[in-house]
Amino acid sequence: MNFIQKAAVAVLLAVTVAASPAFANDAAEQFVQKVLDEAQPYLELEDEQAQLDGIATLVDKYVDMRHIGYFVLGKSARQITSEQKEEYFPLFEDYARSIYQEALTRYSGERLAVTGSVDRSEKNIFVQSKVANAKPGDEYADTLIEWWVHVNNDGEMRIVDAGADGIFLSIEQQETFTSIIADNGGPPAGIDALIENIREKVDD
Amino acid sequence: MRLTVFAALFFFLAGGAAHAQLSDAGDPEEFAEELKRGEADTTEGKEIDPWEGFNRKMFAFHNVFDENLLVPLAKVYRATTHKKQRKGIRNFLDNLKTPVILANDLLQGEFDRAGDTLGRFAINTTVGFGGMGDPAERIGIAQHSEDFGQTLAVWGLDTGPYLFLPFFGPSTLRDGFGAAVDTGLDPSFYYRSDAMATAKYVRAGATALAIREPLIEPLDDIKENSLDYYASFRSFYLQSRKREIQNGRTNYDELPDIGDFEEFDEE
Repeated sequence: MNFIQKAAVAVLLAVTVAASPAFANDAAEQFVQKVLDEAQPYLELEDEQAQLDGIATLVDKYVDMRHIGYFVLGKSARQITSEQKEEYFPLFEDYARSIYQEALTRYSGERLAVTGSVDRSEKNIFVQSKVANAKPGDEYADTLIEWWVHVNNDGEMRIVDAGADGIFLSIEQQETFTSIIADNGGPPAGIDALIENIREKVDD
Repeated sequence: MRLTVFAALFFFLAGGAAHAQLSDAGDPEEFAEELKRGEADTTEGKEIDPWEGFNRKMFAFHNVFDENLLVPLAKVYRATTHKKQRKGIRNFLDNLKTPVILANDLLQGEFDRAGDTLGRFAINTTVGFGGMGDPAERIGIAQHSEDFGQTLAVWGLDTGPYLFLPFFGPSTLRDGFGAAVDTGLDPSFYYRSDAMATAKYVRAGATALAIREPLIEPLDDIKENSLDYYASFRSFYLQSRKREIQNGRTNYDELPDIGDFEEFDEE
């Protein structure tokens, strides 16, 4: 390769790298809009249980519970044993799914539309959405609903957190979970206590 | 008087926190580093809340008052007023905060926002019937809040430890101190008369109801869903406060890393 060819490759690479976050941006926005479009018919259902079931399907399909499950453990994510994992993850999924269900059914009858995105890195993109056609003064007219999209090693996009007006669910869960683990003597006993706490909530 | 009590409390609490770390939790790099270290360290959450034991007791005490008095009163308030009237009352109370907001706009060097605050006051006090209406909002001058805690944040002071006080509610050392300063920035602080004393009590009571009423359901939901109401409440408060200080913008770089746990399953 002569100098000019090398320079051309370098420029091409530089342009690609510089352009890639913006590219990820669009892709993430389209991804979230697709999820929201799929959620739309469920949010319009009259029957509450049918609405919840529909949202549960979407949560299972698009939300990366494994990642969130690790994240909310904080430092204990390194210390959870494989036996604890087997108990913890299914319970956590049930618990987190119900939180998402409740958060989303608040917007039942509304249509959510993507309004923009911020890419913090190539793998972490915050997609913003709002209630479309809201009238000024409506309860959620000004609420900014955000979706934290994470691109995994296979290049797949998954939702890892949802927030309203800057308050994120996984971050709140991490503070709660780590507090319970610490108050019960830290891992491994604290993790067992956490698992029991989640079990009680889920069984309610 | 209230200021003295607050200052005394401030020093009492600050004394107990000599070893407290005042850094913000949630720095992504720090978090990643801590994860890598993987020590059997259980101090998570302690950084922002070194007085957790004290705070939890105060929180429990406040909740007795909240459940038995504040919430029932908030429900009565809701039942006896129309949504539009409540909006009017909120507007009126917000309008009363003008001197404090204006002073803090100026202290932060936010002169555009200070102009907004003055403009809103002039328009809403006159055309808006003494502040009950918000015609300023309709012509595009949106309401914003400022307080001395936010000013201290803009000046670079860290939040300090989380602090929950009965009746005052959630705060941090910095913001609690800021609230005391704000009391002094309010001209009504310097008027002494029986009528003014009554007006202050009415205002404090109305403010408490106006804040609590729209939170009846959201807080019920959190209480119902959370594994630890205290920790969830603290997190919601600190997250929303952070955004308020950044004037309604979220600083995404400050959020911790959620991704990259894939390696955990490969062990």
